[in-house]
Amino acid sequence: MGDTKISPHSLAELKNTTDDALGNYLRGLKFEQDNTKLDVRLAIGYASVVIAAATFAADYKLGWEATKTWTAVAVVAYALLNGAFTYWMWAVEKGCVFDGVREGKKISVASKTKKHDPTYYLTVSSANSGSKQITAPFTTWFTADGYFVAKPFQQWLASSVEAIGNADSKNALRDERDEIASPSPEVELTPQGNGTAEASGTDGKAKGSKRSKRKG
Amino acid sequence: MFSALGNLQPRQLAAQILNFALVLSTAFMLWKGLSVFTNSSSPIVVVLSGSMEPAFQRGDLLFLWNRGKETQVGEIVVYNVRGKDIPIVHRVIRRFGGGSAPLQLLTKGDNNAADDTELYARGQSYLDRSKDVIGSVVGYVPFVGYVTILLSEYPWLKTAMLGFMALTVVLQRE
Repeated sequence: MGDTKISPHSLAELKNTTDDALGNYLRGLKFEQDNTKLDVRLAIGYASVVIAAATFAADYKLGWEATKTWTAVAVVAYALLNGAFTYWMWAVEKGCVFDGVREGKKISVASKTKKHDPTYYLTVSSANSGSKQITAPFTTWFTADGYFVAKPFQQWLASSVEAIGNADSKNALRDERDEIASPSPEVELTPQGNGTAEASGTDGKAKGSKRSKRKG
Repeated sequence: MFSALGNLQPRQLAAQILNFALVLSTAFMLWKGLSVFTNSSSPIVVVLSGSMEPAFQRGDLLFLWNRGKETQVGEIVVYNVRGKDIPIVHRVIRRFGGGSAPLQLLTKGDNNAADDTELYARGQSYLDRSKDVIGSVVGYVPFVGYVTILLSEYPWLKTAMLGFMALTVVLQRE
């Protein structure tokens, strides 16, 4: 994506840019996007637009008196379709930004923001691990002047979501995660003293092995 | 600004265009819904002349109701002269018929010296309530309609307004 600059003060722009980037990232990881929800919304929406257009054309050609009954029917149909449209967006889509499948496993991602709160709330449901909510401030992947930086965004996603991390091991930072979970003991054997007894009265036990964490 | 559109997937572009189309079609369907409700082909009209002063001024917005069959003398009606598409807002000063017979009306503007016989089509000396009258005035808002007068006198304003609306709705993604 090009270096498009957005206003970092506009919550809507932050959310929309991030949503778009998420879609692009997942599609790049070979997640097959399932567009059913969006397609149904487009179908309902355009159906109502067609009804309105037909009513307009009929009224234009034939005048008011002749088209009165058809107009009444069309108005009711339009109201119903619009109601369905709003319901679909509110109840079914519910902030969904990506529905997809990869290697047989489904993933569904919905995003939301809260007023005056510059945080990105993501609800991820995948086939095996149920529903999980992850959040991060937008500042994680936006510069102060409004440029989107892909790397921290991808790292956050890949390390927070199992399914994405499996697809993108480079960004998943698995080594770091595993290291923090159970540090591998690096045992360093220091060269032993010659073991001979010293006149100073020490035990004469040679200094044992030193345990130290070697920084990987 | 337009690069934001270029980055969209085709389905998202379709969704943005749908938003604009829905704005237009909802406005239109609301108008038609009001028409059906009031049984009037034009339920809201703008006063175009000063022939009803001091009751109505040029630019006033009038709300019409067309389901009253027995229009009385003194009611203000809006009618179209046969053959012309200009709505005229005048007061009923005489009525003939009514009940089972078709109702016929004679109208006159308050601010006019003569009744509307001159305004009617050639050969027509009265209005047919069911055919010529668009509705009776049941309410009004002063001055608000002046925008419509401007839009009809300067038609480029219409295109400019529509273009501006289209731009804001399609580029906005809130």
